[in-house]
Amino acid sequence: MMTAELPINAAAGKAQAPRPAPVRPPLAAMFFRSFFIQAAWNYERFQNLGFAFSLLPALRRIYPDREKLNAAVLRHTEIFNTQPYMANFVLGNIARMEEAAAAAPEPGAWLKSMPGVKQALASSFASIGDRIFWGRLKPMTTQVCLLVWTLCGFTGWLFTGLDTRPSTGLLLAGPLLGIAGYSAVAVFLRWQGLAKGYACGGTASCGLDTVNWPRIIRLLSAVGYALSIMLALLAFGLLAGVNYASCSAAALLLKLGLGAAVLVLHRLTRAFGRSVLFAAGFILAVSVLLFSVLRLAPFNLYI
Amino acid sequence: MTTAIKILFSSALTGLLGLDSVQAGQFLFSRPAFVGPLLGWLNGCPLEGARIGILLELLYIDVIPVGGVVPPNGAAGAAAGVLAHAAGGLAPSLAFFIGAAAGAAYSPVESRVRAARSPWNTLVQAQVKAGDLNLSRWLARAMLIENAVMAGYVVCWAGLAAALAAVPGVRALYPGTDFAYSLMPWLGLSGLYFRFRTQAYKK
Repeated sequence: MMTAELPINAAAGKAQAPRPAPVRPPLAAMFFRSFFIQAAWNYERFQNLGFAFSLLPALRRIYPDREKLNAAVLRHTEIFNTQPYMANFVLGNIARMEEAAAAAPEPGAWLKSMPGVKQALASSFASIGDRIFWGRLKPMTTQVCLLVWTLCGFTGWLFTGLDTRPSTGLLLAGPLLGIAGYSAVAVFLRWQGLAKGYACGGTASCGLDTVNWPRIIRLLSAVGYALSIMLALLAFGLLAGVNYASCSAAALLLKLGLGAAVLVLHRLTRAFGRSVLFAAGFILAVSVLLFSVLRLAPFNLYI
Repeated sequence: MTTAIKILFSSALTGLLGLDSVQAGQFLFSRPAFVGPLLGWLNGCPLEGARIGILLELLYIDVIPVGGVVPPNGAAGAAAGVLAHAAGGLAPSLAFFIGAAAGAAYSPVESRVRAARSPWNTLVQAQVKAGDLNLSRWLARAMLIENAVMAGYVVCWAGLAAALAAVPGVRALYPGTDFAYSLMPWLGLSGLYFRFRTQAYKK
């Protein structure tokens, strides 16, 4: 993914830096602040203000000298962007580098390599984080919600006109279960990222070998795909079950075919580079035309 | 009066939960699947809120917030949808599509708010050079502005829905919107299916 250069060693070699003095940064304060890393996200420098804000407790401890502290904070108001949950890997790493730079008699080499390490790690962790969290875990929380609701007897999410009255507790429990699982992983990775990043700080590959990321990504893809198939089969099964006793075989096939036709429509819109909102708008326009303007007899997917 | 208070309270709560989507925490409390039933419960229609919320979630899950993409805002969409039904008096099917439009239309608003923060960088640097390291005020200001913008946005959509409900003949739309609404779970499920199918077969 990137060159395995070790700037901390290279810098140490050039500057003959001793082992940094143990000025352990306040990791707990940095961890808490990192939840606001995107608070002032902007198009010019992205997460820069949040990053500087999160790093500030460490910088205050590392640089007792006010001028050096100001210069350090200024360094970190430059451009920075990564996946927010993975930002702590970079944060810990940079805290360690700043600590090493402050302890070195000639900090120039450390400071010179810092932007490169920061940028390299930010790009790598953005790619990993996007794929794990946005691409897989987030949609999986929706799958969990749908499965919890269905297994607890609430199928109203599929049959939008069905007048069922599930408890409010169940309606909130579905999404909350997904949120709890997702957030547990996110918070754990934030803390681990900070700790690991600080432990191996100074290298452009720091934290990338913490776990086997490609394996996790592949595993999540397979689980998500299996859950998607399970939900689709469940939906078709429920539709058939609801209509089985109340309509003819031809009508049942038509209703099942309608569900399948929506899948095909979505596939087609994707093939033409259109979003799902285009497909939703198309369905709405056709439905209003048929049933509201032309006033065809209402067609129900279920009785 | 009670309706107005409920709209204002729901909008303020949405603004607060909306901060979770990008600015603070990112625990997913801003996702429509949670905002929908929560606001539905507060406004006396938890079932409709849950339906609107989960269907918006399924639709919006197709858009990933990577690169420069500002995805539709699920919290704003769910709040607008629930309030269109609970306070505006529209059928859940029409309220859902209003919510979907509101969520999608929030993207350019959010882009403008983000763009408006870019000039802050120069001001922050000048402040730091002057020796003032209080960065939290900038972050707090950003969150307050975002909160107020979203709350105001939801109030506007609730008002729009109420105005639409007063239009004579709006009920004629319901057979069409009801049918389209009944197909939305299928569209959402297909979104989930294709999302993971692409990933599972990617080498």
